[in-house]
Amino acid sequence: MDEAQVAVIGGGPGGYVCAIRAGQLGLNTVLIESDRVGGECLNYGCIPSKSLITVSKLLDKVREADRFGLKTTAAYVDFAQMQKWKSEVVSRLVSGVEAILRGNHVQVIKGEAQVMARDRIVVTTATGTRDVSAKNIVLATGTRTSSLPGLENDGNLVIGSKEALELTYAPRRLLVVGGGAIGLEFACMYQKLGSAITIVEIMDQLMPGSDPELVRVVARKLESRGAHIHLRSKVAALIKEGGIVTVDIQAPEGRSRAAFEKVLVSVGRKPRTEKLNLQELGVRTDERGFIIIDKKMQTNVPGVYAIGDITGPPLLAHKASKQGIVAAEVIAGRPSAADWKVIPDAVFCDPEIATVGMTETQARAAGYSVKRSRFQFAALGRALSTGEPEGFVKIVSKADDGLVLGVQIVGPEASNLISEVALAIEMGATVEDIALTMHPHPSLPEAIMEAAESAAGSPIHQLKT
Amino acid sequence: MEFKLPDLGEGITEAEVLKWMVKEGDQVAEDQPLVEVMTDKVNVQIPSPRSGMVSKIMAKEGDIAKVGMTILVIDEEGGGSLAPAPPSQMVPVPPVEAPQPMMVQPQPQGTPGMVIATPATRKLARELSVDISSVAGTGPQGRVSDEDVKRASGLHFQTAAVAPAAQAPMATMQPQAPSHQAPAATVQSPPAPQPAPSVYSGREELVPLRGLRKIIAERMVKSQSTAAQVTHVDEVDVTELVMLREALKVTAEKRGVHLTYLPFIVKSLVPALREFPYLNASLDEQSGNIVLKKYYNIGIATDTEQGLMVPVIKDADTKDIFELAKEIDKLSEKARNGTLTLDEVRGSTFTITNVGAIGGLFATPIINYPEVAILGLHKIAKRPFVRDGKLEIRDGTYLSLTFDHRVADGAYAARFTTRLIETLQDTRKLLAAVL
Repeated sequence: MDEAQVAVIGGGPGGYVCAIRAGQLGLNTVLIESDRVGGECLNYGCIPSKSLITVSKLLDKVREADRFGLKTTAAYVDFAQMQKWKSEVVSRLVSGVEAILRGNHVQVIKGEAQVMARDRIVVTTATGTRDVSAKNIVLATGTRTSSLPGLENDGNLVIGSKEALELTYAPRRLLVVGGGAIGLEFACMYQKLGSAITIVEIMDQLMPGSDPELVRVVARKLESRGAHIHLRSKVAALIKEGGIVTVDIQAPEGRSRAAFEKVLVSVGRKPRTEKLNLQELGVRTDERGFIIIDKKMQTNVPGVYAIGDITGPPLLAHKASKQGIVAAEVIAGRPSAADWKVIPDAVFCDPEIATVGMTETQARAAGYSVKRSRFQFAALGRALSTGEPEGFVKIVSKADDGLVLGVQIVGPEASNLISEVALAIEMGATVEDIALTMHPHPSLPEAIMEAAESAAGSPIHQLKT
Repeated sequence: MEFKLPDLGEGITEAEVLKWMVKEGDQVAEDQPLVEVMTDKVNVQIPSPRSGMVSKIMAKEGDIAKVGMTILVIDEEGGGSLAPAPPSQMVPVPPVEAPQPMMVQPQPQGTPGMVIATPATRKLARELSVDISSVAGTGPQGRVSDEDVKRASGLHFQTAAVAPAAQAPMATMQPQAPSHQAPAATVQSPPAPQPAPSVYSGREELVPLRGLRKIIAERMVKSQSTAAQVTHVDEVDVTELVMLREALKVTAEKRGVHLTYLPFIVKSLVPALREFPYLNASLDEQSGNIVLKKYYNIGIATDTEQGLMVPVIKDADTKDIFELAKEIDKLSEKARNGTLTLDEVRGSTFTITNVGAIGGLFATPIINYPEVAILGLHKIAKRPFVRDGKLEIRDGTYLSLTFDHRVADGAYAARFTTRLIETLQDTRKLLAAVL
């Protein structure tokens, strides 16, 4: 029997970070992972997808570069080599995480964990079973893709995000069912790699729930390159025949039929909690099966903690990691808690979308008197000189004192730009603070400064409206 | 119920927890004294508003509690006080208390109660067990600073000079760690000796700045940093005053009163203050007004074992010399016993400080904020005076008047002192003032 002060189940960005922190704090820690450490994010999500997206953007850029005067003979993607490079990136990061776990004396057990009691776990490994007894258990098993009836993943024609990262060619015609963040990233990526894209989304906009102004920029770009976007629509029928999928799409304007080489289903994710024995343990979950936790990552059962995707949306790696740190610190007796004001979000579509804090609508609903200010990348020297002038920065601030409440960015490098404003919100900065902070010229973050200047009432590169 | 530090009177925002009279687990009855706290130089006992069991004491002795801060939790009788937690092998555990689901996106922080503080400050609050949402921020837009959090935790003065001993071995000369690094252990440990900062060699004794000493320290700095203080010194021939006091002493003793010089000074002071109203005043910076007080509440600085206290003689102008003597006696007695009530130390309009019994020529007293002036009295002794061209040995003393030059000028203060001297050295005027 292995005995530990902390047993972390699941080695994703929540679990492995939690285990490292627990190890750093001197806790005897076991990490149980059935696959490779790094979880969905490192192995089947963020990292591989961003690697492929980078290649697709580069290809696009090279083709477009003709008008900048950069002449090439036909550039093309060698899929096998691209996949090999992607795998190398992933492997390198995985072995990095393994090394850090070792360095912090975390014992990693490869196997499937089954929670028997709130202090006992049985792990089925390649060679048998192992009993682990632990004073504290951190549940970090994450989520898996949901499926739709009739659209079950067959690993070949109808696939999920995991398979979509392993393709060895760009499908000529790709249907993306579900226009959320993951669906959009794949749609933009495969469009650049050469696929004709159709998106079916059941709600009335892509990325439901986000600011429609942001999404419009992305939708416009997709459509300008020939994508068909069906909103308030669903797949009514699907026939697989001769390696081709024929799909009936039920849209408000009527039913249409089209054939696709692949169908990517990205309709959300559901918690992986089957092996956790939640009901017998008495761990409370919400109606969708996500585990309910408090600010200290504690479930209602003493000694049982939960972090990351299984605690519900937003399903984000960086949130999971921060929660993992909190859980480890709480177990070590530190006065830690989740007290971040905001959780930034980034979607790697084209152009990128990144948001933090409240949207205009949310701020108004929360009772604030709101000021919104925008700055278009089209008016920014750096955006024009990189050939990426699409999109804008929008700042939502309090009308009376200028406190920054939220920022939405759609445009080049939005994912890299958002951290400045996340810090601003955590620090309680006002638009004036941002406006008065010198930003190097020419650079993309100047757009944030310009939007802040506009909110503070003194824009330079923008006419007052 | 959560018992919050009640409002202890006008202008009082915090109090130091001096002594708990109950401990966790105690049964308390309604009105039973719970805790003794020290505010503005007096101690107050706070009674329990309910009967029940003390389930948690939230403030340690020595902590500074803000008004409105929870200092104690009482489980009321019949109110569901929980049995001890079930042993850990019991599985499953019924859901005792559902934690609030978090991460509801978006997270509007609630319009009025939004806390503006940096992540590091919020962490400090957690480490010091301070509910940051209850801390009144002193920064712009109510921003909560590290200092605000420390003040709310009662660690204000203690931590400033204390480096985390656990992390800084005595041998290494380490720059003073910023106090937000103060380890949680500092909070948990009993208030008595703080770990020695590494900048000391160990041959020093560290006395925590607490209680009355701390209040005095704060008030003196407040006074010095607020008013433009000038001290005017003059000499006075008090031979006739000495004689008059001798004469009245007998009468006083018959009435059971010990008659010192102080009542005479107070009595002489009032008409002078009436004539020079800017010295019986305060400056209200906020409203930009000089507030001339039409009442004469004279503070008497009193030396006690714990430190300086200033009981106040209210409406000194309405009391005769024997009443004043009696009251001064009573108040200084209470000051020494530490039994002054809040009311007895508040509301002075002018203060007298008397170190004559100890010695010294003159001094530069610090104004009792927010007043405009303070009068220092000194040793009465035989001194050479020149009267009508002849050298005479007389009873003399010095008067030191410190005044706030923002409100009054030197000539004004000099004229006031001269008027006071005229009264003190002339029996007829003295009698007129005294009787």
